[in-house]
Order: sequence, then C-alpha cells, then structure tokens
Amino acid sequence: MVKIEFKRDRIIGRWRDLKYEYIIEPRYWRNPWLGILLLVALPLIIFHYPAYLTMFTTANLLAAITIPLGLQLIGTARVNFGPQLYLGIGGYTAALLNLHLGWPPFFTLLATIVVCASISLILSPITWIAKGLYFSLITLILPLAFLDLTFIYGDLFRGEVGLVGMSPLFDLGRVTWNYVSYYYLSLALMLFYLLVADKIGRSRYGVTLAAINEDEDVARMMGVNVSRNKVFYYVFPSVLIGIVGWFIVHTFRTFAGVTYLPLDYMLKILIIILIGGRAYSYGAIWGAYFVAILEEIITPLGPVNYVVFPVVLVAAIVLLPRGEGLFGLYHKRHHRDYFPQLKVRRN
Amino acid sequence: MLEIQGLHKSFGGLQAVRDVGFSVKEGEIVGLIGPNGAGKTTVMNLISGAFKADRGSIRFLGEEIGGLPSNKICHRGISRTYQIPKPFYAMTALGSVTVSVINGGHRPNMSLFDASFEASYYLEFVGLFAKRDTLARDLNLYELRMLELARALATTPKLLLLDEAMAGLNPGEASQALEMIWSAQEQFGITILWIEHVMKVIMAAAQRIVVLQHGQKLLEGTPQEVINDERVIEAYLGGRHVVH
Repeated sequence: MVKIEFKRDRIIGRWRDLKYEYIIEPRYWRNPWLGILLLVALPLIIFHYPAYLTMFTTANLLAAITIPLGLQLIGTARVNFGPQLYLGIGGYTAALLNLHLGWPPFFTLLATIVVCASISLILSPITWIAKGLYFSLITLILPLAFLDLTFIYGDLFRGEVGLVGMSPLFDLGRVTWNYVSYYYLSLALMLFYLLVADKIGRSRYGVTLAAINEDEDVARMMGVNVSRNKVFYYVFPSVLIGIVGWFIVHTFRTFAGVTYLPLDYMLKILIIILIGGRAYSYGAIWGAYFVAILEEIITPLGPVNYVVFPVVLVAAIVLLPRGEGLFGLYHKRHHRDYFPQLKVRRN
Repeated sequence: MLEIQGLHKSFGGLQAVRDVGFSVKEGEIVGLIGPNGAGKTTVMNLISGAFKADRGSIRFLGEEIGGLPSNKICHRGISRTYQIPKPFYAMTALGSVTVSVINGGHRPNMSLFDASFEASYYLEFVGLFAKRDTLARDLNLYELRMLELARALATTPKLLLLDEAMAGLNPGEASQALEMIWSAQEQFGITILWIEHVMKVIMAAAQRIVVLQHGQKLLEGTPQEVINDERVIEAYLGGRHVVH
C-alpha cells in the first residue's frame, strides 16, 4: 500500500521499505529530465507550425555550438571569439563534397570530422603561443578571413548566395514530418553534446580542466600536461562544432558563409553564454532558446537585429554582472561548485 | 639525489644566477638563503622547470632534468610551494589537492572519488580537513600555506622545494608550520630544499645551508659555520656589523 505524506516543502511517498521524496520548490526539481521531457514534447504542440519547428531546431543547434565552446573556453583557459570558424569549415566541407563529388551524408560526416580535426590540430599551437588578448584577437579574425575567402573563391564557395541543393539526411515524404524529424535530430545532437560536457565536467578530467583554467603554470607544477590538454580541448570542441555545420548542410540544405561566419553570429553565441551563464552547459540551452525566440520576434521588424542584439548583449553584461546568467539566478548553486573566471586578458 | 653544476640564468642583461652548484643528499633538509635578489627563487624555478637554464646541469636521481617541462619534473618526484601562495581561488581545498593526486603521480585509472578520498588524507595531515569544502579564496594565509603543502605532498614527491614557507606567518603559526614540515619529512620520507628568510627557523631545521649572493654561491656549510661566517653577516647586514 502506497502512503503519501504532504510536508511543507516536499511530498513523501512510501511503499514497503522504499521511500521517495519529491521536493516541491521548483529549483530543486530534477531539472534535466523535466527539461528534456518538455523539449521532447514540444513538437506535439507546434506540429503544424514549421516556422516554429525551424526556430527551435536553430535553437538546438545554437546550443550545440555553445556547449562545446564552454569546454573549449575552460580547457584552453582562453576566450575564443571565433568558434564559428569550424562551423564554416564543417559546413563547406560537407556541402562541397556532397555537391561536387556526390558523397552521401555519412561520408561527408567522416570528412567533416577529419578536416575539422586536421585544421584545428594545425591551429592548436596558438593555444600555447598566443596569450590573453592575442588569442582572442586571432580567433576573432580567423572566421572573417575565411569569410573573405568564400568571396575571393566565389566560383567554389558561391560567395553571398552560398551553396544550395545538398542532399538531405533523409526524406520522410512529407514536409512537416521532415521538420519534426530534423527537430528531434538536432535535439539528440544537442543532448549528446550536453551529456559529453556534463560527463567531462564531473570526471577527473573536469577537475584538471578547472586547474588549467585557474592557473596553467601552477597546474603544470602539479603534474598536469597542460599543452596536451589544451590541444585536446581546442581540437575536440572544434570537431563538435564542425559537426553542427555538417548537420546544417544536410537539414537546411543551404549553406552560406555570410550567415555563419560574420561577427553577428558570434554576437548571438556571446549572448547565449551571458544569458545561460558561463559555466553551465544546461544554461546554454536556455540562452539558445532565448536568442532563437528573440530573433524570430525581431525578424519581421526589419534589420533591427544589428541594434537589438548588441543592446541585449550590453544589458546582459550590465544586469548579470556575476556571469551566472539568468540560469544561474534560477539554479541553486552549491558553494563548493566550481565556477570559472573567464578572462580575456591572461598571462 | 640532486646535483646542480655550473647553473647560469640571465634575464636580458641581468645575470640572475651565475655558476651556481651544490648538491642535496637523500633525507636531508638543505636551506637556501641569501639577501633579496640573490637568485634563490630563480634557482628553485630552474629546478622545478618553470625556467630553462642558459647553461649548467641539474641532475636528479642520476638523470638530467634541466630543460624538462614542469609536469615531467613533477612526475620524476620534485614538487614545490610558492613564496606567494598561488591557490586555485575558485576551487575548494579538496578540489585543489585532488588535482595533484590525479596528475602528480602515475595514477591513470584512479576515479575522481578515489582521488578525492586520497586528497582528504593530505588535507587531514595538514589540518585542513574541516575546510575541505571551503573555496581557496576564503582561506587565510596560514591555511593557504598548508594547502600548498598538501598540494605538493599529494604529488608524492621525493624532493620538496619550499619557497619561504614561513613568510607572513606569526610566531605561533610558524612553529606549527615547522612541526608540520618535520612531520611530513618523517612520515613521507622526503628530502627538502628550503628557501627561508626566517633565520631562526632555517637554522633549526636545516642540516646544511647554501648561501647565495648576487646570483653566485657564497658559502655552503652547517648552520653553525654559516651563521659565524663574516661574509654571510656582511651580505645580510653590511660590512660595519662584522666583528673582526
């Protein structure tokens, strides 16, 4: 016989010698599962609105870029202002191979992984050499340089128009079903990245990551192979971001550098980090949904995003100064939780 | 255990260390003293791999370690503390020591739980177990020094480099810290190379003293020999304090 007791702050269920407590206060709820449940159920509500499905797919992909970026920021102990470089590299690799050589999505995925890993590995020594502001400046410039290349070699990259007509991941026959399936795939991708980031953060590697972010010289003295870790945490998130580019190519079936490589796109990612909180992988989802919904709202108003996004960014910096974001205000943080400092100017 | 020969290090036009050489035997506590700017911390940075020597040799357990990165030197059994504590401010005491446990020795398959358990032992040893969940930024100077000691011991060193472990401590704390260092030497069987400005402490603790001045070795001997040497008194207090 199940016994239910109602206490002031919790509901207690008892069955034989088993006891289950459910805390009523929302911030103690089992947030990840409730959140995932909500996101899984979302298409049931907006099934007939492809525009909304696309918006939430975009939100999932934005979160899927921001979650690995969080790992990269802490693991390299440097602020990267250009993660979209690998989005561009991944996207163009998949699109070009699919269009010109007819490679199916599975092979373009493998090629994307190999190309992103190779390029990020070649560029990874900048995590040792370039310190502080210089690293941020280099990462800021690289996507812009790549964007220029897409215009210079317009025959190949199709400049402002971009590449169109890549083969879809699959076709379910009906447009609405395709939108729903892509939403679930983007959700799966985001949740997989979340799981990976969460597992790393809670493991022995997470502790080492925090030590590198705190003081890499001291970490080295304590036996941490800082150089190897930095390379790994530069290359691995870069590959994950590149896979998002591949996903965009085979779902939206159009890819233009001018959409993903300029500073506007990085601005959105910065807002996601500030809204979601710089240390919270889960917060990235909040931030991404906030940005995607905001973008959907302001798009009909014309090109006001050039004003609105910077204003939101400045407001987030001023109003959420502790870096915990909106998610941090809601989330109950234990005093002993590691909350990293992200400084552009480091030694 | 440690043999240093002909060590040179310059920063631009400044010769911080010139032809320094000495050795440390297993189980010893060796003091490294000298006035400010004598090059003591530079020598320590050269041994621990923070700096690369221009010339000279540093051999540890018969193996050349000069030029190796700090993490490899740490894995060979040399650990250090800092003159000004360098804690991981946003990490708890337990988290900081856990980093050393995981990375200091060869423990490839140790879980975070096991590492935290072992880190607790080192925190208990230095008397910080009750503060294990306190962020380093909330610890006082004595506690920070003890945390540095715990962090260094957790890498299971054979040679511990202490850089002014007593600086800023009151006499009571200094005597507690000294007891702790002696106890660490006894319990873990470590050898200690110790930079110290508090003469009373280093003279009581060390079996041998190496004196540096202007980046060069001035003298090496027992504490009694060092304290009575005119050159040492002159280096510290000036020529007019020397009694001929």
